[in-house]
Amino acid sequence: MRQNTELKTTFFITAVAVSARLGFVLKEAKNISLEAMNAKALVARAGENVRTFKPITDYMVELANDTIRLVDDINREALGISKASLIALRGNEAVNHFNGAKQKAGNAIYRDSFEPALRSAEKDLHSYQQNLLRNVRRLNELLEEIESRMLAANVVTSTSRLEAATVSKLYRANFEAIVAKFEQAAKNIRAIVRECRKVLNSK
Amino acid sequence: MQTVKLFECATHEWIVFGRDPDKGEKIVDTNQYLIKTAREAVLLDPGGIELFSSMLASVVHYLPVEQITHLFASHQDPDIISSLGLWDKTLPHATLHAPWIWEGFLRHYGCNNITYKPIADEGGTFKMDGIELDFIPAHYMHSSGNFSVYDPVSKILFSGDVGGGLNGADDPLFVEDFDKHIKQIKTFHQRWMPSERAKQAWLNRVRKLDIDLLCPQHGAIYQGKDIERFLDWLEDLEVGTALRLS
Repeated sequence: MRQNTELKTTFFITAVAVSARLGFVLKEAKNISLEAMNAKALVARAGENVRTFKPITDYMVELANDTIRLVDDINREALGISKASLIALRGNEAVNHFNGAKQKAGNAIYRDSFEPALRSAEKDLHSYQQNLLRNVRRLNELLEEIESRMLAANVVTSTSRLEAATVSKLYRANFEAIVAKFEQAAKNIRAIVRECRKVLNSK
Repeated sequence: MQTVKLFECATHEWIVFGRDPDKGEKIVDTNQYLIKTAREAVLLDPGGIELFSSMLASVVHYLPVEQITHLFASHQDPDIISSLGLWDKTLPHATLHAPWIWEGFLRHYGCNNITYKPIADEGGTFKMDGIELDFIPAHYMHSSGNFSVYDPVSKILFSGDVGGGLNGADDPLFVEDFDKHIKQIKTFHQRWMPSERAKQAWLNRVRKLDIDLLCPQHGAIYQGKDIERFLDWLEDLEVGTALRLS
């Protein structure tokens, strides 16, 4: 049991590490949002010529907003993990202290009298660990959601590139630049999220 | 951990636990006291979290843990009561008697099940299974909310930090050579006790008591003539003077 608990009580550090990395995701999501606004303005200016770009810009805005919302959810979950992890850590320490006492008590006449406290501490620890695992699972799911959205963004980028190639020369360079920035931001987010998942699942 | 029965009569016993060999080298040595009646018991200054397993292992030589119905914390320091969170799991139905000013602070150690019974500044009497213990105000000796405990039957005064010192784990549990001992505790009193007025107030209260054993939370226990010698020494010692700033 001891080895098991060691594996699962250090998440308060992991959660903080994940949370810190999410700052970059947020920054990239805001970049996407900004590029989407630029694209929208350009679409309005270019008029009929680039109307096929409109759903793409709408998608970019939606993607940016969803990512920002997901980052909020992840931060909340990470905070929950941090708290759950510390509770589990304290629970683990309590069990260790009781086990230490059991060992030191030797043949003390009332040695068994704190057995219920030890059992209760072990039961609490198990419950803390279950909560922690639930939180970690949920965090993984949220990170996975961002990653799958960024994969979808790849498809949109390809479509956008094709669309950009068809618009008049006057706007083409601008649209291509927006698509490139969108692509880069999505790529960056995917890399950060992958790193977060790696950190989360490393221990 | 050394355990010595200090007193025994028909109604209750006093037992001291100290000189834990398992404690870390840099952790200050502490004395914990157990007062046990036929049905209940109180732990005085149950000790720091690092000491918990040794303490628990030691007390079960004398009673089943559920018999410990009360805890007492003379003040808020970690060596006094940072084990509270673990006692809280061990003795969920117990009551903690501690200075009222420290309630919000002591709860940081974890006190979800134990009932906190605040002691008013004036002190008071605590009754347990037919015995009575007096909470004697010892404010600023050294903590700003601080109590000693006096048992009029055994004539034992638990003096908290007063009379204590930063003794080594191998030092005797009782004062053997007063002159040698007093040298070891001088700086402790000059530095840890901040107020001459508070010192005098405590001495005035304590000198009215009939004391057979003066039991500090650190260091060695005073008995016989050494008690009066210690009180006289403390009266003459100017406290709040050991700060040396460069």
